[in-house]
Amino acid sequence: MKNIIKTISIFMIALGAIFTPTIAGAHDADCPYCKLKLVQNTDAMDNEVVVKFGNKKIEYRCMFCVFADQHKFVGDVVVYAPSEKVGEPIIVKRTSGQWTAPAGTVFLNAFTSHQQCAGLSRAFTSRAAFDNYARRNNVSNPKPLTLAQFMQAVKEALAD
Amino acid sequence: MLTTMIVVTAVAVATTQQSSADRPATLPAWMRSQTARHIDYRRGSDNWAILGLEPFARDMFATGVGHAMAYEALATGHSASLETEVFDRINTVLKNPPLQPVDEYAVSPTFSRRYFALEQVFEWSHTLHFQTIDVLMHPGWSDQRKDEEIEKLWKIYSAQPYALSGLPMNMEYLDGFEFSGEFRTRYPKVNALFWGYHWLQTVNYDMFYRVPRNTFASQYEVIGDRYHTTELYNTRREFMPMTAETSPRFAKRFPEIANSFDNLHMLHDNVNDILAAPGLSQGEKQREIELAIWRVLATTHIGETAGEGQPVSLHDHRYSMGMPGMGMMKGSDEEVMYMPGMGWMNMSECGHCSMSLSQNANAGATVTADGWTMAVRCALCARDMAAQTLGRAIIRSATENPDQMLVLISDELGNWTSNIPTVVFLEYMDEHPSCNRWSKAFSSLDAFHAYLRERPEYAGAEPLTLEEWASRNGGEPETYKRIDRPSPYQRSREGQP
Repeated sequence: MKNIIKTISIFMIALGAIFTPTIAGAHDADCPYCKLKLVQNTDAMDNEVVVKFGNKKIEYRCMFCVFADQHKFVGDVVVYAPSEKVGEPIIVKRTSGQWTAPAGTVFLNAFTSHQQCAGLSRAFTSRAAFDNYARRNNVSNPKPLTLAQFMQAVKEALAD
Repeated sequence: MLTTMIVVTAVAVATTQQSSADRPATLPAWMRSQTARHIDYRRGSDNWAILGLEPFARDMFATGVGHAMAYEALATGHSASLETEVFDRINTVLKNPPLQPVDEYAVSPTFSRRYFALEQVFEWSHTLHFQTIDVLMHPGWSDQRKDEEIEKLWKIYSAQPYALSGLPMNMEYLDGFEFSGEFRTRYPKVNALFWGYHWLQTVNYDMFYRVPRNTFASQYEVIGDRYHTTELYNTRREFMPMTAETSPRFAKRFPEIANSFDNLHMLHDNVNDILAAPGLSQGEKQREIELAIWRVLATTHIGETAGEGQPVSLHDHRYSMGMPGMGMMKGSDEEVMYMPGMGWMNMSECGHCSMSLSQNANAGATVTADGWTMAVRCALCARDMAAQTLGRAIIRSATENPDQMLVLISDELGNWTSNIPTVVFLEYMDEHPSCNRWSKAFSSLDAFHAYLRERPEYAGAEPLTLEEWASRNGGEPETYKRIDRPSPYQRSREGQP
């Protein structure tokens, strides 16, 4: 019985490994927008922001960089935004020009220098997760943003 | 906004340590000779084969005009208008390129008279540029014949006293003088034009080298667009484009020519910096330019050997593993180098999976995208690397037939078109150390099956059409080794969005 459970466990782990989407790319490219080094995932936190359209799969440093560069994406787009949960990205989509995010998604956009953008321009599955992240990382004056507010913030920053 | 966000700073590098041996007691006599000299253009059926691709030929002709206009402005005291009126004038030429080569002496008479030895060096090296292109574009010659003709061209070039060295030179040393960085700091827009010309003058060799002639136009559609929309105006580039960075296959096959082009382009940078340096008198500029020429002349390095030399010195001819066609860059060592846009690389390894590249010229592939060209080990590595890069891309891949290179061109979505309509792919996912065996392109179904007959371990593998192959993605190879070092180049103004 013990062996059967062990076998099933190994099988489930293997199955998980097979079906966990490998989103990130390989080579050490810079962020296409801010040109800083991409930040890799760690055991404790996902950082890789991946944009998928057509056969392209482009990695960015943060959510701000994605939206600042969105005019370069062709057609419908899927963004795998690292969330507070390792291995569970938030799927942000652009379909027929319209951006959508899952209900309850909260965005943080609190960086002053792109050196900090990977940690301070992110998405969260809930307000509670946002607050928890802001508290743990001592984010000063954290402001929870909806997708529309986040996009507006990017637009205003680019217009400055 | 984007252009102001990150601007490469004045490369405030520590001034290179120079010894007295870095200054000659006397300069070569030809540099002071007032005798009229004319450059001979070797006659041959290859002459002006470049005209077979008119948009490219015209863009190349325009680079000469751009160089000359900027130099004349610097030599005649019009540097204050370099970034405005002169830039606009040059830009007009670049957008309306001439139909034939323009005599640079006519565009920059003051500069040419004052720095005639420099003009001699430039013209001779530019002739090598053009004649190499002519050979590569010759409509009737085989690849083997082209290789032989290029070797002849190098011999003819090297026989002159004003030939530049074909040895790899240390770029950190050559870009480490007190005046270094002056031009790119004071005149970033015109400097971007210069580096844009040098990008075009180096990226083209892999576009033509051992590549079917009927792909030249479609490849240049991508390359030319990149040149006109991005490279000419890229004020964020950290260092001048290197030949091996844009044409690695050509640089590996003809390292001396690749090195001589890089040494030429560094001489351009040195001259620009000297002319822009505020503290130098006319006489000092003259003297510094002569020294800059002397440093990169072949005669200055007689008896020296590629792969050897005192680090970061005038006679440092070391190169990074796997790329004899490129001198040491800032921060690089024998194992790794930093490539703008790509980060730290080992040139002897695949840019995607970090496995060793084959020494066989008819193996593997290259990917051209986002201004760089990288060597990769297999078709999968090429496709996935292109998929991870914004914009159009070109893959040049070996097939089972050494005389039939596959050229794939993608649109912005990563949809590929092929020069071989019957192309099929093997992609039998296995461990990455053997990716060059299980990921391959074939010119036909017959060739695919012939390969499988020799490789029973892949029995049952289905041939993939181009569309099927293009839609796949192998993810991050387990063999990929990340080199975690900071960029050796300084940047500023990273604060603003």
